[in-house]
Amino acid sequence: MSIHFLLVLNRQGKTRLIKWFNANYSTQEKQRYVQEIHRLIASRDTKNQSNFVEYQQLKLVYRRYAGLYFISAIDGYDSELSYLESLHFFVEILDTYFNNVCELDLVFNFYKLYAILDEVYLGGELQEILKEKVLERLAYLDKLD
Amino acid sequence: MKGLNQFILDLRNSKDLSEEDKRINLEINNIHSKFNTNLNGYQKKKYICKLIYIYLLGYSDVADLGIKESYQLLNSPTFTEKQLGYLSIAILDGYDKHKYASKKEYLNTLLDSIHSNLVKDLKSNDEDINCLAIQFIASNFNINDTSKGSNMVKIVESDESAPQWLELIDILYSYCTSPIKNSLIKKKSSLTLLTLLKIYPDVIISNNNWIPRLLQLIDSDDLGVVISCIPLIQYTMNFKPQIVKSIIPLVSSRLVTFIIDEDCHATYYYYKSPAPWLIVKLFQLVEQFFLLDSPDGTPALSVSEIDEHTLNNLRRVIAQSIQNASKPISGLPNRNSQSSILFQAVSLAVFLNASKEAINGAINALMLLLDSPDTNTRYLSLDALIKLTARLNANYLSSMNLNKFDENLPKIFNLLYDKDISVKRKSLDLIYTICNSETYNIVITQLLEFFPFADFSLKSDLAIKIAILAEKFANDSTWYVTTMLKLLSIGGGSNSSGIGYISNEVWERIVQIVVNNQDLQAKTCKLVINLLRNPAAPENVKGRPQPVIGLSENLVKVAAFVLGEYGSEIKETPEYSIEAQFRVLYESYFKVSLLTRAMLLTTFLKLLLKFREEVFVPDVVDLFDIESQSIDLEIQTRSTEYFKLLTTQINQKFTNQLIKPFPVFVNTESPLMNRIGSINHIVGRNRSSSLVAAQNITKSSNKGLKSTSTIALPITQENDNDELAENPQEDNPFAERPTALTPNWYSGYHRMLHYDAGIFFENQLIKLTYRIMKDKNNITIKFVIINNSAKTAGTDITGFTVLNLESFSGKEDPSYILNLRQLPEATIHDKSAIDIDVKVRDVVENHQSPILSIKFMCGGSFNQLNLKFPVSLMKTLSSTSLSNLEDFKKRWLQIGELLGKEGEHHVKIDLSHRHNSSNIVRLLSRLGFSVVHATPDNSENGILVMGGGILHTQKSNYGLLATIKSVDNIGREFEIVVRCTGGGIAEVIAMNLKEIFEG
Repeated sequence: MSIHFLLVLNRQGKTRLIKWFNANYSTQEKQRYVQEIHRLIASRDTKNQSNFVEYQQLKLVYRRYAGLYFISAIDGYDSELSYLESLHFFVEILDTYFNNVCELDLVFNFYKLYAILDEVYLGGELQEILKEKVLERLAYLDKLD
Repeated sequence: MKGLNQFILDLRNSKDLSEEDKRINLEINNIHSKFNTNLNGYQKKKYICKLIYIYLLGYSDVADLGIKESYQLLNSPTFTEKQLGYLSIAILDGYDKHKYASKKEYLNTLLDSIHSNLVKDLKSNDEDINCLAIQFIASNFNINDTSKGSNMVKIVESDESAPQWLELIDILYSYCTSPIKNSLIKKKSSLTLLTLLKIYPDVIISNNNWIPRLLQLIDSDDLGVVISCIPLIQYTMNFKPQIVKSIIPLVSSRLVTFIIDEDCHATYYYYKSPAPWLIVKLFQLVEQFFLLDSPDGTPALSVSEIDEHTLNNLRRVIAQSIQNASKPISGLPNRNSQSSILFQAVSLAVFLNASKEAINGAINALMLLLDSPDTNTRYLSLDALIKLTARLNANYLSSMNLNKFDENLPKIFNLLYDKDISVKRKSLDLIYTICNSETYNIVITQLLEFFPFADFSLKSDLAIKIAILAEKFANDSTWYVTTMLKLLSIGGGSNSSGIGYISNEVWERIVQIVVNNQDLQAKTCKLVINLLRNPAAPENVKGRPQPVIGLSENLVKVAAFVLGEYGSEIKETPEYSIEAQFRVLYESYFKVSLLTRAMLLTTFLKLLLKFREEVFVPDVVDLFDIESQSIDLEIQTRSTEYFKLLTTQINQKFTNQLIKPFPVFVNTESPLMNRIGSINHIVGRNRSSSLVAAQNITKSSNKGLKSTSTIALPITQENDNDELAENPQEDNPFAERPTALTPNWYSGYHRMLHYDAGIFFENQLIKLTYRIMKDKNNITIKFVIINNSAKTAGTDITGFTVLNLESFSGKEDPSYILNLRQLPEATIHDKSAIDIDVKVRDVVENHQSPILSIKFMCGGSFNQLNLKFPVSLMKTLSSTSLSNLEDFKKRWLQIGELLGKEGEHHVKIDLSHRHNSSNIVRLLSRLGFSVVHATPDNSENGILVMGGGILHTQKSNYGLLATIKSVDNIGREFEIVVRCTGGGIAEVIAMNLKEIFEG
């Protein structure tokens, strides 16, 4: 009952963010997964197909924002919509934090993204559902040196 | 970090991959040499960041380069340096298959190197530092995936690393339950504690007193803490479902607050929905109780156990959620949130004994949604329908909704041709769950028609589902074999890498069934030859391209087996002569894979040994000769051996031994069930297999389908389940431990034995009073909870929950039944009440009294009370019409004659202070006796009191007589003699009286 990993890929398949909540995957598997998932998602058309697709034993819940795919891998029997909206929640936080986020923000601040993730999800589970609280916390952390 | 930005920019400006590669290698060398010099914190940070970036680009071999420096950063007093240290270890030091023998070794190695840092940072006074350590644990030790079951890493007490793990767990547990830690630490700790408990579950098993305190988190005001503790609570449910169950009333009232009262702090609104994620999680939490099995195999929760008020709350929130979602909703986030709640509500509704109308309504609404142009909606509606139908009792479904699905079958079938494979997959699952004995024929025909058009990744699943349905519902063995062979024929061919569409289990199952059913053998031989000659052509569907069907290898495998074994049964018909049979197989030999060829070689040997005079003999011998040179080991071995066998003179007897008829399969459960995939999850973990078994039982009792038994193998699955159920529970690690009673429980217990009203328990915070109302064998006990701290400290009692009402009345034929009729309010300002109904069914032994466990918070402290209260046979006593001593004596003698020793019991009592006759009369009257004789108080001949009454149980009533006689002169020692019309009851009552007098 949790997110196994969260991926942000651009349309060319470059990884912009990857967080393995589940330490189960070996270095070798991780690389293969990213490639396969990109192939799978990029081949789906956004108009006539759902935001959900099965992959291995998991279900990928994804949405495209401009040139970026935001993808969560969840258990087969968990709530798709809940996690789909959770991705949107995360994107909204990025948007406010980076003040109109774009792909380059993610590229140059790749290490900060993990700190943001750590305030929204932990161990693959939802940790906070209040946007203001996350943003407040992030602003506070930025002041620490 | 300027250097980092420049580096990233450089890479982005690279013209091609080789330039990028060059730049990266240059940087790696640079970092390498820099690490050998003295670097300050900022520089270290910069280079580590670059390394992480390079690593994430796919250069995984740089991982080792920065580990040492990462650990140095961990020890830095600067927050950002420490933060980066944790991040780089988390990313660079991942699980590498080549470095570690097992995941457990990886975990232990990582823990060993970082344990001291973690403990130091967890114990730091700086909460931000605490958070870094907590987050690291959650990210890197979250290895167990509970949904997979196998391959779990498990730490046990004997492991060398166990004390280190335990230290972390202890700290995190103390943070979760600490009254002073803020909610940020609490939510992070509870999620992280879960991570560690998953790898070291023995901790929560042996410390199951932790669970009530962890449950308290769900009552928190901070919704972040609430949502974070849910996964942990769901996990503890596996170990102590009876205790965790106690939160359902609280969860349901929280749901009412959000959904009905719409009482939610404005900031928690996500667009226009109040806390949608939390609502979904809370629904999932309740649903999980119904899906889970207790350690003894029964479902952890059934509706009848939920009190009326709570059940009503749950039904209201579900109804409201459905209504909310059916209103027009603007905006995608809003719509999605409402729908996510809707689908979660529907999936819970089935368990709450919803009415037929309600279920019908839900099915109708969902069916309409299948027409939606929005793919997500179609997908999710299918998903909800699957859950609904799979969970509903099969009979229930067929009694009422059959027609509904029949009408809608074409619609669902159409979805098999949807543009989205996710939708196709779901519609296949739905078709599978709604298929029944009325529709199976159409369903299977349609699925076979669909097969050639199905996506490759769907075909294997499709074949398995067709096979299971055919076997489950077939009532005509010929139909079964025809259908299955047609499936194999249509499902011929393979993808470009040579993997067939249909997994081996399918053809193996057909063979098993043919072997076990003699009347099928000849038929199958004929059918398989026909199909090999003329492959089943898929139906021509207008507007769809005609798919090309290759030779079905699975069909050849079946042919190889059945013709080799039973081919001789049909040899009399000219078109199926042995020669013809051989030709069909021989022609396919070079078209099939090596594995199938090996099978064919054996078939040829069988044919040849059985029919030594046939014209094809030289062909076979030649084939064996040629294949002895094969590069495939299996084929070479077989050919060489078979060739030797034919060319060497060996007696007939020996060769006949080689081709003995195939024995009947025994005790083979269908291997197909293991491949059924996702549907199993829906019904609940342990019950998924019994779903099928249960349907088999209903089927065999159904006259119309009698012949099924001649097709299917002996169904052993049910037996297997029985054996499991009978497994002794002795070595069960989850076995109940006796509940430790709260000190000072006895005075209240004893008071209840004597009096029907009074104080049950009291301390500084809380007081419980009781009143017992008796009506024959029905006893109602009303507890009133009084907040003692209200006056002194002015605090409310919060989170008041009845954790458990533990009955010791025996499981099989309980001597009494408890029913918690009224639950107390969670927040007690002044007072609240609990009502418990007790129905006495049979003789209650004296050690069978129940224990009431409650928990509550008061002024920041957590309290749990485990109090025993008496349920005894004495409480059912009512007075008799015995009016005088004469009657008493007559009955006394009657019982003596009738039952002898069985009906009588003597007991000596020794009292702490003196009693006179009227003391004893008062006591007996209070207990319900009619006193018929008592010596006067000033009598010098000692004390003698006699009385009688009637005991009530549901099964029977019993007459009871007692005499109490002093044996000393001062009124301290007595002898009680009890006679009763029920055998053995006298002893129970005598011991009960002894306890009342002496206690």
